[in-house]
Amino acid sequence: MFDIISEILAATIRQGTPLLMIALGEIYVERSGVINIGIEGNAITGAFIGWFVSLKLSSWGMLAPVAGLIASASVGMIVALIFSFFVLRLKTDQVVTGTGINLLAFGLVHLLYTQLVGETGEALKSSIFNTIPVPIFAQIPILGQIFFQHNILVYITFLILPILYIHLFRTRYGLSIQSCGEHPKAADTLGIKVSELQTKCLLFGGAMAGMAGAYLSLAHVPYFNPDMTAGRGFIGLAIVIFGGWHPIKAGGAALVFGFGSALSDRLQARMLGIPHQFLQLLPYVLTLLVLAGLLGRTRAPSALAVPFRRE
Amino acid sequence: MSLSTKSGPLAHPIAQAISIVLLSLVINSIILLACNYNPATAFSALFNGAFGSFRSVCEIFVRACPLLFTGLAVSFAFQCGVWNIGAEGQYFVGSMVATWMGVAGKDFPPFTLILLILTSGCLFGGLWSAIAGLLKAHRGVQEVISTIMLNYIAFYLLSYAVDGGPLQESAKYYPQSELIHVHLPILLDKTRLHMGVLLAIALALGSHWLLMSTTIGYRLRAVGHNVFASRVSGINVSKNITLAMFISGSLAGLAGSVDLIGISPYRLFQPGGMSMLGPGFIGIAVALLARLNPIGIIFSALLFGGLQVGADAMQLIEGVPAKLTSVIQATVLLLVLGFAAIEQKDTIIEG
Repeated sequence: MFDIISEILAATIRQGTPLLMIALGEIYVERSGVINIGIEGNAITGAFIGWFVSLKLSSWGMLAPVAGLIASASVGMIVALIFSFFVLRLKTDQVVTGTGINLLAFGLVHLLYTQLVGETGEALKSSIFNTIPVPIFAQIPILGQIFFQHNILVYITFLILPILYIHLFRTRYGLSIQSCGEHPKAADTLGIKVSELQTKCLLFGGAMAGMAGAYLSLAHVPYFNPDMTAGRGFIGLAIVIFGGWHPIKAGGAALVFGFGSALSDRLQARMLGIPHQFLQLLPYVLTLLVLAGLLGRTRAPSALAVPFRRE
Repeated sequence: MSLSTKSGPLAHPIAQAISIVLLSLVINSIILLACNYNPATAFSALFNGAFGSFRSVCEIFVRACPLLFTGLAVSFAFQCGVWNIGAEGQYFVGSMVATWMGVAGKDFPPFTLILLILTSGCLFGGLWSAIAGLLKAHRGVQEVISTIMLNYIAFYLLSYAVDGGPLQESAKYYPQSELIHVHLPILLDKTRLHMGVLLAIALALGSHWLLMSTTIGYRLRAVGHNVFASRVSGINVSKNITLAMFISGSLAGLAGSVDLIGISPYRLFQPGGMSMLGPGFIGIAVALLARLNPIGIIFSALLFGGLQVGADAMQLIEGVPAKLTSVIQATVLLLVLGFAAIEQKDTIIEG
């Protein structure tokens, strides 16, 4: 029994990590006043490039997945740069542009992937991030299995949580970012370069989403398939709301959502008689309830998705 | 976002749409070259595939049909200033309810049953979408987020319904529904051209009339143009937002039910995943290319339908993956946005 529980909890952390990576990036983006629903596209591009680079550099051994990760972060930033050109320079609608970016990313990835492996989709195995048990801690019964037997990306993601929190809420830079999302005009008057900060946040968000994609194809499984992000970008958006645009709370929310998918993976055999689809749709229902104010109040940045024009 | 034209060399919307499509072909030729394909042979295969035979031209209408519905759906919401990203989910709900009706009502006379299937899919698609409208109107919830959430809820409900749920075939073997015993009349022998296509075109004309020539349409557009001015002049903004979402969702739901009984084998299948390339999302590009104009949407839906038919042939003959259509559609969407933005900038400077 304990085995199953600790296995599900360990899987919760593994499943929650990519969601959290996406959410942390998007928190910065939305705090700066921009909503990027194209992160699903960032993630699938990151997953593809990460897998591809690691595959091509498999002779590098341990360094192959690292190279893949760097490539996926870079490509995530390139996608974000295209998005920022449209929404910040041309002031196009952020939601429609995000949808366009998703279409483009999925179309391109499908195209390149089919060109690469053919229609049959022969599974090509890339080198991945191995599990690194934390010395001593990993030996602790139960807790060791839950918390200290993961790949490096899991540790890093949870370690940067407090850093991002301090950065966003306790430093001048973080507060400048927030002022762009709350009252860009006032921020501009104070000499804050609104568009520049928003671009930086978008780049950070793009890199995080790209790496979250790479997590899927370089740590979760050693394969790629062009639908593997399976809506994680959108769950990331949900986590941002659920976590009240706050890094630490988003960490909690990511674990809740990760628990849902860990549980549904285990329940494929209908252990409890609950169809696994119900567990999978639960996060979305919860998010709707949070949004409707039925599960506590949250407040979005005031100037979210409102294009800022200097006068 | 305003999509109205005022000036500039490409002021005419049709001229602009054509130049956007051509520019997109240029960009995609570069992509094809980068992937080691010959764009000339690829695009000529695409063109021949779409227009090469009478059957393929009929097929264009078949493929354009769901896009026409979802394009209209998106347009209704956008005209009222609501960003309905949920047409995909409303499509799922429509096809689910339609399936239930088709199976449960199999003893009804065929004509009655077809009407029941279409209206129930339509109604429930609308109700599903109205949830987002109500949440926006009364609790200030951004419809973008709520419709995305509703998309996934609908997807998993559908996925359950045909896999162990109430809509699965009685043999309980495959994740699919029973066969529906009625279907829409086929208009021409040896083609898949069904009555739904005519319904879609009729609805496009009807939508144009509703939006441009009635008080209801005027109010919807007024809210889309300026919420504050509308409120001041006595228009009930909340009611109109909910109404726009309801109409929008019912069109997407209708797309789901028409696809169900329009295209053989007339049964509901479990979708492989929530695809960014489904009709609900492509509908956004369809609507924007036509600048939200319902008559224009007929043509942009046909264009995108033609791309799909042609791309299948292109894949068969030239080996170029048919997914190229998604890239073309995406570049079209982004170019539309870019053009509209640059144009707005021009008018601001001139004004």
